[in-house]
Amino acid sequence: MPRRHRETATAKAVVAEAQQRGRRQRSKETYREISVAEFFAKNRELAGFSNPTRALYQTVRELVENALDATDTHSILPVISIRIAYDDELEAKYGNPRKWFRITVEDNGIGVPPTVIANAFGRVLFSSKYVIRQTRGMYGLGVKAAVLYGQMTAGRPVEVVSSMQESDYVYLRRLYIDVSKNEPKIVEKGQWRKKGRWHGTRVTITLEGDWPRARSRIIEYIKRTAVIAPYAEIYFETPDGEIYVFPRLTSKMPAPPKEAKPHPHGIDLDQMKMLIKRSNARTLLQLLSNELQSVGTIMARKFLEEIGLDPNMNPKKLDNDSLVKLVDSMKSYRFRAPKSDHLSPIGEELIKIGLKRMFKPEWVDALTRPPRAYQGHSFIVEVGIAYGGGIEARNEPLLLRYANKIPLLYEEREDVTYKVVSGINWKIYRVDFPAPLVVLVHIASTKIPYKGVGKESISEVPEIESEIRIAVQHVARKLRVYLGKKAREAEARRKIITISKYIPEIARSLAILSKPPTKWNQPSEKDEKILVDALIRLVSRNVEVPKVPGLEQSDPEKIVRSVIENIKLE
Amino acid sequence: MAAPVDKVDLQARKRAAKIIHEKFKGVLKDVLSGKPPRLIIPKRTLANTRFDPEKGILVMGEDVIERELLNMGEARRFMQTLLMASIIYQALIENEYPTIRDLYYRGKHTIVYRDLRGRLREENTWDEQSESDAVIRDVEVFTGLLREDMLILSKEKGKVVGRMKIRSGGDVIDLSKMGHGAYAIESTPDLIEFLEVDAEFVLVVEKDAVFQQLHRAKFWDKYKAILVTGAGQPDRATRRFVRRLNEELGLPIYILTDSDPYGWYIYSVFKVGSIQLSYESERLATPKARFLGVSMTDIFGYRSKKPYLSERERRNFIIKAKDVDIRRARELMKYSWFQTPKWRRELRIFLQRKAKLEIEALASKGLRFLAEKYIPEKIETGDWTE
Ligand SMILES: Nc1ncnc2c1ncn2[C@@H]1O[C@H](COP(=O)(O)OP(=O)(O)O)[C@@H](O)[C@H]1O
Ligand SMILES: [Mg+2]
Repeated sequence: MPRRHRETATAKAVVAEAQQRGRRQRSKETYREISVAEFFAKNRELAGFSNPTRALYQTVRELVENALDATDTHSILPVISIRIAYDDELEAKYGNPRKWFRITVEDNGIGVPPTVIANAFGRVLFSSKYVIRQTRGMYGLGVKAAVLYGQMTAGRPVEVVSSMQESDYVYLRRLYIDVSKNEPKIVEKGQWRKKGRWHGTRVTITLEGDWPRARSRIIEYIKRTAVIAPYAEIYFETPDGEIYVFPRLTSKMPAPPKEAKPHPHGIDLDQMKMLIKRSNARTLLQLLSNELQSVGTIMARKFLEEIGLDPNMNPKKLDNDSLVKLVDSMKSYRFRAPKSDHLSPIGEELIKIGLKRMFKPEWVDALTRPPRAYQGHSFIVEVGIAYGGGIEARNEPLLLRYANKIPLLYEEREDVTYKVVSGINWKIYRVDFPAPLVVLVHIASTKIPYKGVGKESISEVPEIESEIRIAVQHVARKLRVYLGKKAREAEARRKIITISKYIPEIARSLAILSKPPTKWNQPSEKDEKILVDALIRLVSRNVEVPKVPGLEQSDPEKIVRSVIENIKLE
Repeated sequence: MAAPVDKVDLQARKRAAKIIHEKFKGVLKDVLSGKPPRLIIPKRTLANTRFDPEKGILVMGEDVIERELLNMGEARRFMQTLLMASIIYQALIENEYPTIRDLYYRGKHTIVYRDLRGRLREENTWDEQSESDAVIRDVEVFTGLLREDMLILSKEKGKVVGRMKIRSGGDVIDLSKMGHGAYAIESTPDLIEFLEVDAEFVLVVEKDAVFQQLHRAKFWDKYKAILVTGAGQPDRATRRFVRRLNEELGLPIYILTDSDPYGWYIYSVFKVGSIQLSYESERLATPKARFLGVSMTDIFGYRSKKPYLSERERRNFIIKAKDVDIRRARELMKYSWFQTPKWRRELRIFLQRKAKLEIEALASKGLRFLAEKYIPEKIETGDWTE
């Protein structure tokens, strides 16, 4: 599938407002326009590059997300290697604080066309992901923010080596971003004939970072990525030479997301104008039924007639008032809900596999909810819950948040997921804190309503909030059933212990009482043993120990024997 | 092994041991055949105590408790009951006389078992003696044998003197030849054999001091009596002994206590049994016992009856009843055996006058007054309360 790389007004709009905010902060007297590259260079915290710690973390994140977008989104089983290394050269040059790092991420993805490499890595707001499709990247900003940060701190260009699947060549580009022009400035180019069948991309960025501080977050980020991508093979080498390997556990992958047309409920005035400009529809009817999803000809005609617009008129001739009316009426009209077959949820099975590997829990379950929509964007909520086993007990659930398969680590308390999960009364589900509980929530959508371009927390959209709640409650109910069984099992075991500890005393007493007074003799050890055995049988046959799924069925007789094995009668 | 025992003793042992053995056969059978064993024990609660007007004693009702081994809440008590029974059983067979304290120590073991997590834990078969004492009571109700039947000893408290000879432990004892002392009523009153009896009634006095005074005054000799005291709240042996005197020898029993609700309760224990331990009444209570005094009408007179105390003496001796006395009296009024016309009158006067009197007050009028006037006159004129 050929990819369209372009800049869009939508993405620009995202930053326009912030840009304005930035301008207001500076001079009030001299006016000039700055490029979007310059804007992000000056406001790098907006993209998540506020300090060397966050910058290191954010760079890993942007590169890994691009690598995954280039693989699983295109049905390629990902092999991803991440390497963070001290940059000895810079260290020799600038002295010895260990703060210069080379971050290299290599994938086996589709590669980047040689003609596009420069723009993809050197022009802010240039992306192949400005389509309605569920991808990790969405703003066309991420890797460029990292490149900018790198060149501003370490003064080094980004290095990209890439080859497309069908290509016979491997291409190399080393480039800077010209901040004032928002343009790539290539400093080195190369190309080789491929020997093997390698395809993919390797990106290296050099920057100033703080490894000791970023360490735990980066490891956590990679682990959490591995949780929901058990089909990926991930290598990670730290600057200290530690190596983390997450082997592939399954070759089952989520179906790749498909591109969707915009839904009439989610379209705004600008988007509509753009749509009309690009479309070759000759009538309003054609425009609506061809360019929008969930709108058929009959529906479109009925709608247009209801709002009093001529279905046969040329959309390019619409005046501004009619345009506003069209867009506005569309938002509330009863069109079919947005289609969701282009979404790519992780799926219950993969969630369970991932949670099992990472936490070795005694119990795990997951749920993928049916698709829903908010403001014309379809979304799917998935929830996984893991309990017990290797999970450490904490005072609140360990929350794993994901949006379009990206782990979210920062701003937890701002997130709608946190709001829902912390508001749940876990007692109802037999969970008493501190408890070993992990709750995973994934939201897949053609548009994730992030709170900021740093993509760390999700806004409180009522439809999403309610879906999360339903999903968590649903899985939690299953947990309650499990914990109920377990409690009953424990109760049965407690019962066995409470009773069987008395077996030896009872056996001895009965042995004495069983000797008739006329033919009295002190009972022998054998007499007692017969009674002990009879009592063991009696207790173990009459106390039912329920089977707990996932746990080994306990043998009542074994429990009885272990309880009394130390009791000696004087 | 204990010293050689006499025939009566041996017979009692055989009988008790046989009953215990039979009673626990069921449990043994259940265990061997894999059936969850249970002990069905009459309930020893107040709610399960009722007055049997025919027999004139307190008896246990029909309620039973089932003590099951396989019930978490009952397993411990089940074990304790068997343990206690086995100790008593073995003691019977081996001719021993354990005290309840001995039984407590003999049965007290530490059980070291493994808990859910595999850790070793300790538990005692019983901790306090109060716990093992309660188990003895369970064994008593379960087997229908009293501890006296099972030859368990307790502290001796009751005393007796009088015109009578008995045999105990093979010795013949003349109860009229005790000097200033008295024969301590043994823990196993059923092993006493009554030999010669030359008495016409039995006088049971509440207080040990009054017993001693009457004894030194040779009251029993002069009036052909047997004199008994339980020294306060009577123990089981004293009650059983009194019951046998009445039942086997047909001697009338007169009870002399203070004139207050506490004294009346002691009379009640002799007569119908103790409310908490109704299971013993069948063998310990003496339903024909009579309350001789001191009665309210003795103090205040009634209709034609002249009081034994003058106006001045009343002023000096009478003690004002306290709230607890009033409360106790009200409690007694509810019991059916206190609802005879005479008892109602007694209690009514008490509640009106709110007055009580200690028996020593009568003695202070002179021992002779008590021994030679008050008691004989009341018996002669039939002036007792029933
Ligand atoms: N590892 C990679 N493999 C293939 N294409 C890539 C890779 N990294 C980046 N790209 C391309 O570069 C574009 C810009 O990336 P980025 O700036 O991170 O923005 P976004 O991911 O939001 O689109 C992507 O849209 C993609 O087309
Ligand atoms: Mg990206």
